Amino acid sequence: MGWILIPDGKPDGHVEHIYREKTDKRILKKNPWRDYRLHITVLILVVIAELIGTISIPITKDVAITIMPLIYTIILGLVFYLAKPIKWIQRKQARIAEGAMMLFIGVLIAKLAVSSGQSIGLIFDMGPALILQELGHLATILVLPIALLLGFKKEAVGMTNSIGREPNVAVVVDKYGFNSPESRGVFAIFIIGTVIGTIFISFLVTFSLSVLPLHPYAFAMASGVGSASMNAAAIGPTLAAFPGMETQIEAFAGFSNLLSFCVGIYIVIFVALPLTEKMYNWLEPKIGRESIMPKKEDD
Amino acid sequence: MPDLIDGSENVTVHGIFNWIILLVIFSIITVIGNYLGYHHPMEGSLVGMAILSIITLAGVWMERYLPLNVSSILYISVIGIILAFPGMPTSEFVLHYVSQVELLAIVTVFLAYVGIGMGKSWDEFKALGWRAIVITVLVIATTYYGAAIVAHIVLVLTGVPAV
Repeated sequence: MGWILIPDGKPDGHVEHIYREKTDKRILKKNPWRDYRLHITVLILVVIAELIGTISIPITKDVAITIMPLIYTIILGLVFYLAKPIKWIQRKQARIAEGAMMLFIGVLIAKLAVSSGQSIGLIFDMGPALILQELGHLATILVLPIALLLGFKKEAVGMTNSIGREPNVAVVVDKYGFNSPESRGVFAIFIIGTVIGTIFISFLVTFSLSVLPLHPYAFAMASGVGSASMNAAAIGPTLAAFPGMETQIEAFAGFSNLLSFCVGIYIVIFVALPLTEKMYNWLEPKIGRESIMPKKEDD
Repeated sequence: MPDLIDGSENVTVHGIFNWIILLVIFSIITVIGNYLGYHHPMEGSLVGMAILSIITLAGVWMERYLPLNVSSILYISVIGIILAFPGMPTSEFVLHYVSQVELLAIVTVFLAYVGIGMGKSWDEFKALGWRAIVITVLVIATTYYGAAIVAHIVLVLTGVPAV
Protein backbone atom coordinates (compact mmCIF):
# COMPACT_ATOMS: atom_id res chain seq x y z
CA MET A 1 0.00 0.00 0.00
CA GLY A 2 1.38 3.38 -0.97
CA TRP A 3 -0.34 6.67 -0.62
CA ILE A 4 0.91 8.79 -3.44
CA LEU A 5 -0.30 6.67 -6.28
CA ILE A 6 -1.43 7.50 -9.73
CA PRO A 7 -2.41 5.21 -12.59
CA ASP A 8 0.24 5.37 -15.30
CA GLY A 9 -2.12 4.38 -18.07
CA LYS A 10 -0.60 0.96 -18.68
CA PRO A 11 -3.16 -1.76 -19.40
CA ASP A 12 -2.16 -3.87 -16.40
CA GLY A 13 -3.33 -1.12 -14.07
CA HIS A 14 0.13 -0.77 -12.63
CA VAL A 15 0.54 2.34 -10.51
CA GLU A 16 3.59 4.51 -10.23
CA HIS A 17 4.82 7.17 -7.93
CA ILE A 18 4.45 10.76 -9.12
CA TYR A 19 7.33 12.29 -7.23
CA ARG A 20 9.62 9.46 -8.14
CA GLU A 21 8.84 9.66 -11.83
CA LYS A 22 9.26 13.38 -11.99
CA THR A 23 12.55 13.30 -10.10
CA ASP A 24 13.90 10.37 -12.02
CA LYS A 25 13.09 11.72 -15.42
CA ARG A 26 14.61 15.10 -14.70
CA ILE A 27 17.57 14.04 -12.63
CA LEU A 28 18.76 10.64 -13.65
CA LYS A 29 19.04 11.21 -17.35
CA LYS A 30 19.89 14.82 -17.90
CA ASN A 31 22.92 15.58 -15.73
CA PRO A 32 21.12 18.50 -14.10
CA TRP A 33 24.25 19.73 -12.32
CA ARG A 34 25.79 20.58 -15.67
CA ASP A 35 23.43 23.54 -15.97
CA TYR A 36 25.77 25.55 -13.77
CA ARG A 37 24.13 28.87 -14.69
CA LEU A 38 20.90 27.76 -13.01
CA HIS A 39 22.70 26.97 -9.76
CA ILE A 40 24.81 30.12 -9.87
CA THR A 41 21.59 32.10 -10.39
CA VAL A 42 20.07 30.42 -7.32
CA LEU A 43 23.22 31.26 -5.35
CA ILE A 44 22.94 34.92 -6.41
CA LEU A 45 19.22 35.00 -5.46
CA VAL A 46 20.03 33.52 -2.04
CA VAL A 47 22.88 35.98 -1.42
CA ILE A 48 20.64 38.93 -2.37
CA ALA A 49 17.80 37.60 -0.20
CA GLU A 50 19.95 36.95 2.88
CA LEU A 51 21.70 40.31 2.58
CA ILE A 52 18.37 42.17 2.47
CA GLY A 53 17.21 40.12 5.45
CA THR A 54 13.81 40.23 7.13
CA ILE A 55 11.78 43.40 6.76
CA SER A 56 8.91 44.20 9.12
CA ILE A 57 6.25 46.62 7.95
CA PRO A 58 3.97 47.87 10.76
CA ILE A 59 0.35 48.18 9.64
CA THR A 60 -1.27 49.11 12.92
CA LYS A 61 0.21 49.25 16.41
CA ASP A 62 -0.03 45.48 16.93
CA VAL A 63 -0.16 44.14 13.41
CA ALA A 64 2.99 43.95 11.33
CA ILE A 65 3.62 42.20 8.05
CA THR A 66 6.98 40.43 8.05
CA ILE A 67 8.66 39.81 4.71
CA MET A 68 11.34 37.13 4.96
CA PRO A 69 14.21 36.20 2.64
CA LEU A 70 12.25 33.13 1.53
CA ILE A 71 9.65 35.40 -0.09
CA TYR A 72 12.33 37.26 -2.06
CA THR A 73 13.80 34.07 -3.44
CA ILE A 74 10.44 32.69 -4.65
CA ILE A 75 9.44 35.97 -6.28
CA LEU A 76 12.90 36.64 -7.75
CA GLY A 77 13.00 33.07 -9.06
CA LEU A 78 9.70 33.57 -10.84
CA VAL A 79 10.77 37.01 -12.13
CA PHE A 80 14.03 35.56 -13.46
CA TYR A 81 12.08 32.91 -15.34
CA LEU A 82 9.59 35.40 -16.78
CA ALA A 83 12.05 38.22 -17.56
CA LYS A 84 12.88 38.15 -21.25
CA PRO A 85 16.46 39.50 -21.00
CA ILE A 86 17.46 36.60 -18.75
CA LYS A 87 18.02 34.04 -21.45
CA TRP A 88 19.74 31.39 -19.34
CA ILE A 89 16.64 30.66 -17.23
CA GLN A 90 14.12 29.10 -19.61
CA ARG A 91 11.63 26.26 -19.64
CA LYS A 92 14.42 23.69 -19.65
CA GLN A 93 15.96 25.19 -16.51
CA ALA A 94 12.53 25.36 -14.89
CA ARG A 95 12.12 21.64 -15.50
CA ILE A 96 15.54 20.96 -14.02
CA ALA A 97 14.74 23.19 -11.04
CA GLU A 98 11.47 21.33 -10.52
CA GLY A 99 13.20 17.95 -10.67
CA ALA A 100 15.99 19.09 -8.36
CA MET A 101 13.40 20.50 -5.97
CA MET A 102 11.88 17.03 -5.60
CA LEU A 103 15.26 15.84 -4.31
CA PHE A 104 15.84 18.90 -2.12
CA ILE A 105 12.50 18.36 -0.38
CA GLY A 106 14.37 15.45 1.20
CA VAL A 107 16.91 17.74 2.89
CA LEU A 108 14.10 19.88 4.26
CA ILE A 109 12.24 16.81 5.52
CA ALA A 110 15.46 15.44 7.04
CA LYS A 111 16.04 18.67 9.00
CA LEU A 112 12.45 18.60 10.29
CA ALA A 113 12.79 14.90 11.14
CA VAL A 114 15.91 15.56 13.23
CA SER A 115 13.96 18.18 15.20
CA SER A 116 11.08 15.71 15.56
CA GLY A 117 13.43 12.99 16.81
CA GLN A 118 14.95 15.36 19.34
CA SER A 119 11.47 16.23 20.66
CA ILE A 120 9.87 12.81 20.26
CA GLY A 121 8.60 12.79 23.86
CA LEU A 122 6.81 16.08 23.33
CA ILE A 123 5.27 14.78 20.10
CA PHE A 124 3.80 11.79 21.92
CA ASP A 125 2.45 14.09 24.63
CA MET A 126 0.74 16.24 21.99
CA GLY A 127 -0.51 13.19 20.07
CA PRO A 128 -4.25 13.95 20.32
CA ALA A 129 -3.86 17.50 19.03
CA LEU A 130 -1.56 16.38 16.22
CA ILE A 131 -3.94 13.67 15.04
CA LEU A 132 -7.18 15.64 15.43
CA GLN A 133 -5.88 18.75 13.65
CA GLU A 134 -5.61 16.61 10.52
CA LEU A 135 -9.44 16.54 10.58
CA GLY A 136 -9.35 20.35 10.64
CA HIS A 137 -8.27 20.23 6.98
CA LEU A 138 -11.86 19.15 6.21
CA ALA A 139 -12.75 22.83 6.59
CA THR A 140 -11.96 23.29 2.88
CA ILE A 141 -15.43 21.85 2.17
CA LEU A 142 -16.85 25.11 3.54
CA VAL A 143 -15.62 26.74 0.33
CA LEU A 144 -17.91 24.51 -1.78
CA PRO A 145 -20.96 26.84 -1.63
CA ILE A 146 -18.80 29.76 -2.77
CA ALA A 147 -17.49 27.71 -5.69
CA LEU A 148 -21.10 26.89 -6.65
CA LEU A 149 -22.11 30.55 -6.42
CA LEU A 150 -19.21 31.46 -8.70
CA GLY A 151 -20.61 29.11 -11.33
CA PHE A 152 -18.52 25.96 -10.94
CA LYS A 153 -20.34 22.63 -11.27
CA LYS A 154 -18.69 19.27 -10.61
CA GLU A 155 -15.32 21.05 -10.84
CA ALA A 156 -16.14 22.34 -7.36
CA VAL A 157 -15.92 18.81 -5.93
CA GLY A 158 -12.34 18.51 -7.16
CA MET A 159 -11.52 22.02 -6.04
CA THR A 160 -12.75 22.02 -2.45
CA ASN A 161 -12.18 18.48 -1.12
CA SER A 162 -8.61 19.28 -0.03
CA ILE A 163 -5.70 21.63 -0.59
CA GLY A 164 -5.13 20.05 -4.01
CA ARG A 165 -1.46 19.11 -3.92
CA GLU A 166 0.14 16.14 -5.69
CA PRO A 167 -1.32 13.34 -3.53
CA ASN A 168 -4.79 14.91 -3.68
CA VAL A 169 -4.56 15.30 -7.46
CA ALA A 170 -3.66 11.62 -7.67
CA VAL A 171 -6.68 10.61 -5.57
CA VAL A 172 -9.15 12.69 -7.60
CA VAL A 173 -7.74 11.55 -10.96
CA ASP A 174 -7.83 7.97 -9.75
CA LYS A 175 -11.46 8.20 -8.67
CA TYR A 176 -13.03 10.31 -11.45
CA GLY A 177 -10.72 9.80 -14.42
CA PHE A 178 -8.28 12.12 -16.11
CA ASN A 179 -10.79 14.08 -18.23
CA SER A 180 -13.55 14.47 -15.66
CA PRO A 181 -14.75 17.88 -14.46
CA GLU A 182 -13.61 16.92 -10.95
CA SER A 183 -10.06 16.41 -12.22
CA ARG A 184 -10.15 19.73 -14.09
CA GLY A 185 -11.09 21.35 -10.80
CA VAL A 186 -8.26 19.80 -8.83
CA PHE A 187 -5.76 20.59 -11.62
CA ALA A 188 -6.80 24.26 -11.45
CA ILE A 189 -6.21 24.35 -7.70
CA PHE A 190 -2.91 22.53 -8.18
CA ILE A 191 -1.58 25.02 -10.75
CA ILE A 192 -2.74 28.13 -8.91
CA GLY A 193 -1.47 26.72 -5.63
CA THR A 194 1.90 26.06 -7.28
CA VAL A 195 2.19 29.66 -8.42
CA ILE A 196 0.70 31.66 -5.54
CA GLY A 197 0.39 29.11 -2.71
CA THR A 198 3.76 29.65 -1.04
CA ILE A 199 3.58 33.43 -1.22
CA PHE A 200 -0.04 33.54 -0.11
CA ILE A 201 0.38 31.22 2.87
CA SER A 202 3.42 33.14 4.08
CA PHE A 203 1.39 36.36 4.26
CA LEU A 204 -1.64 34.53 5.66
CA VAL A 205 0.49 33.11 8.49
CA THR A 206 2.21 36.44 9.18
CA PHE A 207 -1.17 38.14 9.42
CA SER A 208 -2.74 35.39 11.55
CA LEU A 209 0.17 35.37 14.00
CA SER A 210 -0.42 39.00 14.82
CA VAL A 211 -4.23 38.92 15.07
CA LEU A 212 -5.18 35.43 16.33
CA PRO A 213 -4.38 34.53 19.95
CA LEU A 214 -3.81 30.82 19.27
CA HIS A 215 -1.36 28.47 20.97
CA PRO A 216 2.15 28.57 19.40
CA TYR A 217 2.00 24.79 18.91
CA ALA A 218 -1.32 25.19 17.07
CA PHE A 219 0.34 27.55 14.57
CA ALA A 220 3.21 25.08 14.19
CA MET A 221 0.90 22.11 13.59
CA ALA A 222 -1.30 24.03 11.16
CA SER A 223 1.67 24.83 8.93
CA GLY A 224 1.83 21.15 7.97
CA VAL A 225 -0.69 21.50 5.16
CA GLY A 226 0.64 18.60 3.11
CA SER A 227 2.83 20.54 0.70
CA ALA A 228 6.54 20.79 1.44
CA SER A 229 6.92 24.26 -0.10
CA MET A 230 3.83 25.70 1.61
CA ASN A 231 4.93 24.03 4.85
CA ALA A 232 8.31 25.71 4.48
CA ALA A 233 6.79 29.10 3.72
CA ALA A 234 4.42 28.83 6.69
CA ILE A 235 7.09 27.80 9.21
CA GLY A 236 9.25 30.87 8.50
CA PRO A 237 7.03 33.54 10.08
CA THR A 238 6.01 31.11 12.86
CA LEU A 239 9.65 30.59 13.87
CA ALA A 240 10.22 34.33 13.81
CA ALA A 241 7.15 35.00 15.98
CA PHE A 242 8.13 32.64 18.81
CA PRO A 243 11.88 33.02 19.37
CA GLY A 244 13.43 30.36 21.61
CA MET A 245 10.92 27.69 20.55
CA GLU A 246 12.57 26.75 17.25
CA THR A 247 13.00 23.05 17.98
CA GLN A 248 9.42 22.49 19.16
CA ILE A 249 7.93 24.46 16.26
CA GLU A 250 10.06 22.59 13.71
CA ALA A 251 9.19 19.29 15.37
CA PHE A 252 5.41 19.90 15.26
CA ALA A 253 5.45 21.44 11.79
CA GLY A 254 7.49 18.59 10.38
CA PHE A 255 5.51 15.85 12.09
CA SER A 256 2.19 17.40 11.14
CA ASN A 257 3.27 17.66 7.51
CA LEU A 258 4.30 14.01 7.63
CA LEU A 259 0.87 13.12 9.04
CA SER A 260 -0.79 15.14 6.28
CA PHE A 261 1.12 13.05 3.75
CA CYS A 262 0.36 9.64 5.24
CA VAL A 263 -2.89 9.98 7.21
CA GLY A 264 -4.27 13.01 5.38
CA ILE A 265 -4.62 11.18 2.11
CA TYR A 266 -6.84 8.54 3.70
CA ILE A 267 -8.96 11.26 5.28
CA VAL A 268 -9.40 12.68 1.76
CA ILE A 269 -10.31 9.29 0.27
CA PHE A 270 -12.66 8.07 3.00
CA VAL A 271 -14.07 11.28 4.50
CA ALA A 272 -13.43 14.45 2.53
CA LEU A 273 -14.36 13.30 -0.97
CA PRO A 274 -17.59 11.50 0.00
CA LEU A 275 -18.56 14.45 2.19
CA THR A 276 -17.85 16.95 -0.58
CA GLU A 277 -20.00 14.90 -2.98
CA LYS A 278 -22.89 14.78 -0.47
CA MET A 279 -22.65 18.52 0.05
CA TYR A 280 -22.58 19.03 -3.70
CA ASN A 281 -25.67 16.89 -4.32
CA TRP A 282 -27.50 18.73 -1.57
CA LEU A 283 -26.43 22.28 -2.40
CA GLU A 284 -26.13 22.26 -6.20
CA PRO A 285 -29.89 22.23 -6.93
CA LYS A 286 -30.38 25.01 -4.37
CA ILE A 287 -27.63 27.49 -5.19
CA GLY A 288 -26.00 26.19 -8.40
CA ARG A 289 -25.53 28.79 -11.13
CA GLU A 290 -25.30 28.54 -14.90
CA SER A 291 -22.03 26.71 -15.62
CA ILE A 292 -19.16 29.02 -16.52
CA MET A 293 -17.28 26.18 -18.13
CA PRO A 294 -17.23 25.96 -21.95
CA LYS A 295 -19.95 23.58 -23.16
CA LYS A 296 -17.47 21.45 -25.13
CA GLU A 297 -17.39 17.84 -23.92
CA ASP A 298 -13.78 16.81 -24.07
CA ASP A 299 -12.73 13.23 -24.07
CA MET B 1 -2.69 20.26 -17.82
CA PRO B 2 0.08 19.99 -15.23
CA ASP B 3 2.58 17.39 -16.23
CA LEU B 4 2.30 15.06 -13.28
CA ILE B 5 2.86 11.92 -15.22
CA ASP B 6 6.19 11.26 -16.83
CA GLY B 7 7.94 8.09 -17.81
CA SER B 8 10.37 6.83 -15.23
CA GLU B 9 13.97 5.81 -15.71
CA ASN B 10 16.03 3.13 -14.11
CA VAL B 11 18.40 4.16 -11.38
CA THR B 12 21.99 3.64 -12.43
CA VAL B 13 25.31 4.40 -10.80
CA HIS B 14 25.30 7.44 -13.05
CA GLY B 15 21.94 8.48 -11.58
CA ILE B 16 23.17 8.23 -8.00
CA PHE B 17 26.19 10.30 -9.02
CA ASN B 18 23.76 12.99 -10.28
CA TRP B 19 21.91 12.98 -6.96
CA ILE B 20 25.14 13.38 -5.03
CA ILE B 21 26.39 16.29 -7.15
CA LEU B 22 23.01 18.05 -6.87
CA LEU B 23 23.01 17.63 -3.10
CA VAL B 24 26.57 18.99 -2.93
CA ILE B 25 25.51 22.07 -4.94
CA PHE B 26 22.45 22.54 -2.72
CA SER B 27 24.57 22.16 0.42
CA ILE B 28 27.15 24.73 -0.70
CA ILE B 29 24.47 27.31 -1.54
CA THR B 30 22.69 26.65 1.77
CA VAL B 31 25.91 26.95 3.79
CA ILE B 32 26.66 30.33 2.15
CA GLY B 33 23.10 31.54 2.89
CA ASN B 34 23.34 30.15 6.43
CA TYR B 35 26.57 32.12 6.95
CA LEU B 36 25.27 35.38 5.46
CA GLY B 37 21.84 35.30 7.07
CA TYR B 38 22.44 33.61 10.41
CA HIS B 39 26.24 33.87 10.93
CA HIS B 40 26.80 30.19 11.60
CA PRO B 41 30.41 29.12 10.91
CA MET B 42 30.71 27.42 7.54
CA GLU B 43 32.64 24.30 8.68
CA GLY B 44 30.02 23.17 11.18
CA SER B 45 27.05 23.81 8.90
CA LEU B 46 28.81 22.02 6.04
CA VAL B 47 29.00 18.89 8.22
CA GLY B 48 25.34 19.43 9.14
CA MET B 49 24.32 19.65 5.47
CA ALA B 50 26.42 16.54 4.74
CA ILE B 51 24.43 14.62 7.39
CA LEU B 52 21.10 15.84 5.97
CA SER B 53 22.22 15.02 2.42
CA ILE B 54 23.22 11.48 3.39
CA ILE B 55 19.81 10.94 5.07
CA THR B 56 18.12 12.21 1.89
CA LEU B 57 20.25 10.00 -0.31
CA ALA B 58 19.47 6.96 1.84
CA GLY B 59 15.74 7.80 1.68
CA VAL B 60 15.49 8.23 -2.08
CA TRP B 61 17.64 5.14 -2.62
CA MET B 62 15.45 3.03 -0.32
CA GLU B 63 12.31 4.27 -2.04
CA ARG B 64 13.57 2.84 -5.31
CA TYR B 65 15.27 -0.34 -4.11
CA LEU B 66 13.12 -1.65 -1.28
CA PRO B 67 10.08 -3.63 -2.37
CA LEU B 68 7.67 -1.55 -0.26
CA ASN B 69 5.71 1.05 -2.19
CA VAL B 70 6.45 3.84 0.25
CA SER B 71 7.37 7.46 -0.38
CA SER B 72 10.95 8.59 0.29
CA ILE B 73 9.46 11.27 2.56
CA LEU B 74 8.57 8.53 5.03
CA TYR B 75 11.99 6.83 4.87
CA ILE B 76 13.78 10.16 5.32
CA SER B 77 11.57 11.09 8.26
CA VAL B 78 12.07 7.75 9.99
CA ILE B 79 15.87 7.82 9.51
CA GLY B 80 16.05 11.43 10.75
CA ILE B 81 13.91 10.70 13.81
CA ILE B 82 15.92 7.57 14.72
CA LEU B 83 19.32 9.29 14.34
CA ALA B 84 18.24 12.16 16.61
CA PHE B 85 16.30 10.03 19.08
CA PRO B 86 17.39 10.87 22.64
CA GLY B 87 19.73 8.14 23.88
CA MET B 88 20.84 7.00 20.43
CA PRO B 89 24.65 7.00 20.15
CA THR B 90 24.32 9.16 17.02
CA SER B 91 22.04 11.79 18.50
CA GLU B 92 24.65 14.03 20.10
CA PHE B 93 26.81 14.20 16.96
CA VAL B 94 23.82 14.69 14.62
CA LEU B 95 22.20 17.38 16.76
CA HIS B 96 25.46 19.26 17.27
CA TYR B 97 26.01 19.74 13.55
CA VAL B 98 22.45 19.79 12.19
CA SER B 99 21.44 22.48 14.69
CA GLN B 100 24.01 24.77 13.05
CA VAL B 101 22.00 24.71 9.82
CA GLU B 102 18.99 27.00 10.21
CA LEU B 103 15.78 25.59 8.75
CA LEU B 104 15.12 28.99 7.17
CA ALA B 105 18.46 28.88 5.33
CA ILE B 106 17.42 25.56 3.73
CA VAL B 107 13.94 26.89 3.00
CA THR B 108 15.28 30.03 1.31
CA VAL B 109 17.40 28.02 -1.13
CA PHE B 110 14.67 25.44 -1.67
CA LEU B 111 12.11 28.13 -2.51
CA ALA B 112 14.48 29.75 -5.04
CA TYR B 113 14.29 26.48 -7.02
CA VAL B 114 10.52 26.39 -6.43
CA GLY B 115 10.23 29.95 -7.81
CA ILE B 116 12.14 29.12 -10.98
CA GLY B 117 10.29 25.81 -11.36
CA MET B 118 6.85 27.33 -11.00
CA GLY B 119 7.55 29.77 -13.84
CA LYS B 120 6.74 26.81 -16.07
CA SER B 121 3.12 26.86 -14.84
CA TRP B 122 2.74 30.60 -15.43
CA ASP B 123 0.89 30.38 -18.78
CA GLU B 124 -1.52 27.77 -17.48
CA PHE B 125 -1.98 29.90 -14.38
CA LYS B 126 -2.89 33.01 -16.40
CA ALA B 127 -5.45 31.03 -18.41
CA LEU B 128 -7.40 29.94 -15.32
CA GLY B 129 -9.23 33.10 -14.41
CA TRP B 130 -10.02 34.96 -11.23
CA ARG B 131 -12.76 32.62 -10.00
CA ALA B 132 -10.37 29.71 -9.65
CA ILE B 133 -7.85 31.99 -7.93
CA VAL B 134 -10.49 33.04 -5.39
CA ILE B 135 -11.31 29.40 -4.65
CA THR B 136 -7.62 28.42 -4.31
CA VAL B 137 -6.94 31.23 -1.86
CA LEU B 138 -10.00 30.26 0.19
CA VAL B 139 -9.07 26.57 0.15
CA ILE B 140 -5.55 27.29 1.43
CA ALA B 141 -6.90 29.66 4.11
CA THR B 142 -9.58 27.22 5.35
CA THR B 143 -7.20 24.24 5.45
CA TYR B 144 -4.77 26.32 7.53
CA TYR B 145 -7.37 27.80 9.88
CA GLY B 146 -9.22 24.49 10.19
CA ALA B 147 -6.08 22.76 11.43
CA ALA B 148 -4.98 25.70 13.61
CA ILE B 149 -8.34 26.04 15.35
CA VAL B 150 -8.81 22.30 15.97
CA ALA B 151 -5.22 22.05 17.29
CA HIS B 152 -5.77 25.06 19.54
CA ILE B 153 -9.01 23.67 20.99
CA VAL B 154 -7.44 20.24 21.67
CA LEU B 155 -4.35 21.84 23.24
CA VAL B 156 -6.50 23.99 25.53
CA LEU B 157 -8.80 21.07 26.45
CA THR B 158 -5.84 18.82 27.26
CA GLY B 159 -4.39 21.58 29.40
CA VAL B 160 -1.16 22.34 27.52
CA PRO B 161 0.08 25.66 28.88
CA ALA B 162 0.80 28.34 26.31
CA VAL B 163 4.55 28.71 26.61
